[in-house]
Amino acid sequence: MAILTGRLGTIKYDPAGITPVALISVNAWKLSLKTGKQDVTCFGDTNKVYVPGLADISGSIGGFWNSSNVVLFAATRATVPGLLELSPNSSEPTFKFSGLAYLDADLDCSVESAPKVSGTFMAAGPWTEAP
Amino acid sequence: MVDSSDIDAALTAKLLADTTLMAMATDGVFIDEASPGATKFVIISLADEVDVATFGGRAYEDALYLVKFVALSTAGANVKAAAARIDVLLENGTITVAGYTRMTVHREARLRQTEVDALDPTIRWFHRGGHYRAQFSIT
Repeated sequence: MAILTGRLGTIKYDPAGITPVALISVNAWKLSLKTGKQDVTCFGDTNKVYVPGLADISGSIGGFWNSSNVVLFAATRATVPGLLELSPNSSEPTFKFSGLAYLDADLDCSVESAPKVSGTFMAAGPWTEAP
Repeated sequence: MVDSSDIDAALTAKLLADTTLMAMATDGVFIDEASPGATKFVIISLADEVDVATFGGRAYEDALYLVKFVALSTAGANVKAAAARIDVLLENGTITVAGYTRMTVHREARLRQTEVDALDPTIRWFHRGGHYRAQFSIT
């Protein structure tokens, strides 16, 4: 394996939660995998001691407004979570992170550039890392 | 696969097709450098260009063109009218390029200069026009 470019990253989403389809005009995603730690420090310990709790999975996505694909904005109104799939490079499509998620979105329009879309997501079910 | 040079060509064609402008810029429209002996012409130069990426490819091409009317001081050209005509044609102008969708064409800054000829200091060249932002997304 080698370090690959992020230019071939992908973001896929399916509001029905079954078969995610690539979103178009997107150019960034960030996945945060954090596990909460519980303080179990006891008398006599020489430093604080923690044990892991539950994983907290969230992140963000970004790109440009494209009227051909507004699925992200529909997703913000979803009452059931969709299936989100993130891959760092499409030439290694088996390497991906996926799971059910709720999404939020922002649209930033100014005279200086193309309208930019950004969004955040948070897990709404178990997430997997493949392979 | 799109050809970025087609944007340059479409911009040139847009100006060349205008009889009002061509009546003033009688020597034509050139990229970067005019023909020897030309005294009334339009110059188009690519001043800056950035390709904006999305995953897997280019989202759009963001170019800044210098477009100006240039005339020899003794040529009797209406520099003011020619520059104004360029602006009429390009500001929010309709420019069609195969494989692209026009996002915007607009002026970001105007330009007005008088140049002393390098060989004969008694000669003046008038330059007037502007920097035009042209953004085209990949269809």
